[in-house]
Amino acid sequence: MCEVACSAGHFGAVSPALARIRVAKMDETGIDLAIACFSCKEKPCLECPTEALSVGDRGEIVLDSDYCDACGLCAEACPVGAVGFYEEPLFCDLCDGDPNCVKVCPSEALTYETGKEVSLAPFLEVGGTPSQRRVHFAGVMAEPLRKGWAEGRRVDS
Amino acid sequence: MSIYQGSSLRVDLSTQEISRGSTPENGIGGRTWNSVTLLRELDAGIDPLGPENLLCISVGPLTGTEFAATCRIIASAKSPLTGILGDSGARGFFGPEMRWAGVDQIVFSGASEEWKYLYIDNDQIELRDASHLVGLDITDATVQLIDELGDPDLQVAAIGPAGENMVKYAIISCNLARACGRTGMGAVMGSKKLKAIVVRGTKPTRPADPDRFQKACSDLIANIEAHRQFRSRQLYGTTRIMDALADYGVLPAYHYRSAVFEDLEKVSSDALRRDHVVKGKACYNCNVYCSRYNYTSYSEGEGPEYEAQAAFTVKVGGSDLELAVHVSNMVNRLGLDCISTGEVIAWLMECRHEGIISDDDCDGIDLSWGSKEALLKLPELIAHRQGIGDLLSEGTKRAAEKFGTEAKKLTAEVKGLELFSADPRGIKGYGLMNAVNSRGGDHYRGEPMIELTGDEELAMRRVGNPQAAHRLSEEGKGALVNYAEHMGLLSDSMTICKNISCCMDVVDFDLAADAYSGFLGKEISKDDLWLACSHVSQVERDFNLREGLKREDDTLPDRFVNHPIPDGPAEGTTINIHKLVDDYYEVKGWE
Ligand code: SF4
Repeated sequence: MCEVACSAGHFGAVSPALARIRVAKMDETGIDLAIACFSCKEKPCLECPTEALSVGDRGEIVLDSDYCDACGLCAEACPVGAVGFYEEPLFCDLCDGDPNCVKVCPSEALTYETGKEVSLAPFLEVGGTPSQRRVHFAGVMAEPLRKGWAEGRRVDS
Repeated sequence: MSIYQGSSLRVDLSTQEISRGSTPENGIGGRTWNSVTLLRELDAGIDPLGPENLLCISVGPLTGTEFAATCRIIASAKSPLTGILGDSGARGFFGPEMRWAGVDQIVFSGASEEWKYLYIDNDQIELRDASHLVGLDITDATVQLIDELGDPDLQVAAIGPAGENMVKYAIISCNLARACGRTGMGAVMGSKKLKAIVVRGTKPTRPADPDRFQKACSDLIANIEAHRQFRSRQLYGTTRIMDALADYGVLPAYHYRSAVFEDLEKVSSDALRRDHVVKGKACYNCNVYCSRYNYTSYSEGEGPEYEAQAAFTVKVGGSDLELAVHVSNMVNRLGLDCISTGEVIAWLMECRHEGIISDDDCDGIDLSWGSKEALLKLPELIAHRQGIGDLLSEGTKRAAEKFGTEAKKLTAEVKGLELFSADPRGIKGYGLMNAVNSRGGDHYRGEPMIELTGDEELAMRRVGNPQAAHRLSEEGKGALVNYAEHMGLLSDSMTICKNISCCMDVVDFDLAADAYSGFLGKEISKDDLWLACSHVSQVERDFNLREGLKREDDTLPDRFVNHPIPDGPAEGTTINIHKLVDDYYEVKGWE
């Protein structure tokens, strides 16, 4: 629902390819994780050859389309595959501080928090495509969850 | 009127040629296109597993839009299990992806000599070698494809060993456990030597009248959130119904020999959630996220839904819930329909109980009620057509012919399709639905759910008869089943989840008309949609009549008609199916 709300909210059209939040799904392990820009400490995406990117007031990455060559290097640089690409890079703009995705999430899995600094340093060297990096990240994040299942933790416990 | 014409992909597996065409002009998406295609293009009497059968897979104009839970694909073909129209829908995420690839329908014809899979990446479409996937179960084949193609975002619909071996009730699965389950569509796919369909699409869906469409989407979400079952569906999915069915006295314990199951607590939805559910799971754009991921000491996977949970416990007379969850996982991986598989096993156990067959007739497998050996071994044997599994893979109707008249009397099927895990005697609308609908013995064709509500005002509004709101009433059920069939067909065209549109009854023809009109940007009235459904309902009837269906086939097994429920809250009830069918024929205007 977050992908749909994001895509519809920004483009009036629906496809995850247009969304700035993406769900990494691994059906064989039961894991789903929604991933959007964390405004991470490292911000490797900012190495933009045409200097089209800057950091906005809320920490979001701001794209100046006039400068963007659509080379896609920023999307390639994000260690967790959080930068979309559809004709040009798609950065989460936090919907002016009231994100659509958070509003629609039925399981309240998404929250919007400010002031926390997240480091993605352990993921900087992860190779592969953005979608492979999302899945890799989700897999790592889900390890404690899956360990809990093996130890007998259930959804209500 | 032409409501929407989509793009249809034609894939000839004999010549390996792929071409583009259009969907039939009179449909409204999904099942309507498929049924019209099959009536038009198939000859009567063809072999369902021969190259002359067509396998149609469709989405609809609303699939992959903001309208909630428009997630399904509908697969249709002449059914190898029943010999009449076959079709079944699968939820998950495959349908939207297909729509975003710009493909509204795929029609597979012919049969390949070598195993293939169809690869669709937007406009790049090709048949590829699948020989390395042969023998893999659905999970392994899907994971292998995602790995080797290097794209975790792609969607896969695959068959397992059961489909490869043309088990008559083999499934096609999306997202590992979201199946086109009924009527053997996986067997048809296997007969064409098509192991999987892989799809990746990025073309967005865009409403032509955004304001109107947006309002329909918001109305639907509001209806869902306000529904009294909203929370319990989130927690339990369809397993929530088990307690209610016990209260109505319609549990099929020991293969319909009792409506009372002494170990109900051990196998209940609460026990399932407490002991085995580790996480909620959703389909595309669905705020109900009713599915659940399970973890057991044997295996893990998505599910079970009520049908698998009940079939592998109550129906087979077993109280080992963990085993049942595992069998559900196993059946999903092998690519078998859990309803038909559960029914085959439960029927065998009853035959053994009655002394009609012995364990020796079944490769020495212990067939006592709830037998762990039977539950673990039979699905494997069936999927691989080994030993007794070869006979059982034909379905109960054909298998019973081998075991004689007494065994035949115990089967619970209509037109060859095995029945669900409830007793039609105590829920008359469901009984009628099973007897008359166009794919044989099935409850999910459209859900006459109103009869479980007691809500006379609702029944009045939907079908003009307050008595239709009562499950034991035989009044108004023809109209109720006709309405539910239309609603099912509408849902199979919008490709919205029927748990939402039919079971929760939160979509009606008015709301659907707003969604269609808003998305397509032209005025489509509820009458247009109703007429389109009536038309296709007749198309399906014509297809089945052409295959030799007779009025006598629109009935239920003898045990439900002539023998009362032996115990429990609905003790003494039978179902007057002749009266109900007469009523239904009158509503339909059929002779
Ligand atoms: S209600 Fe359940 S089965 Fe239906 S679309 Fe939602 S999550 Fe899927």
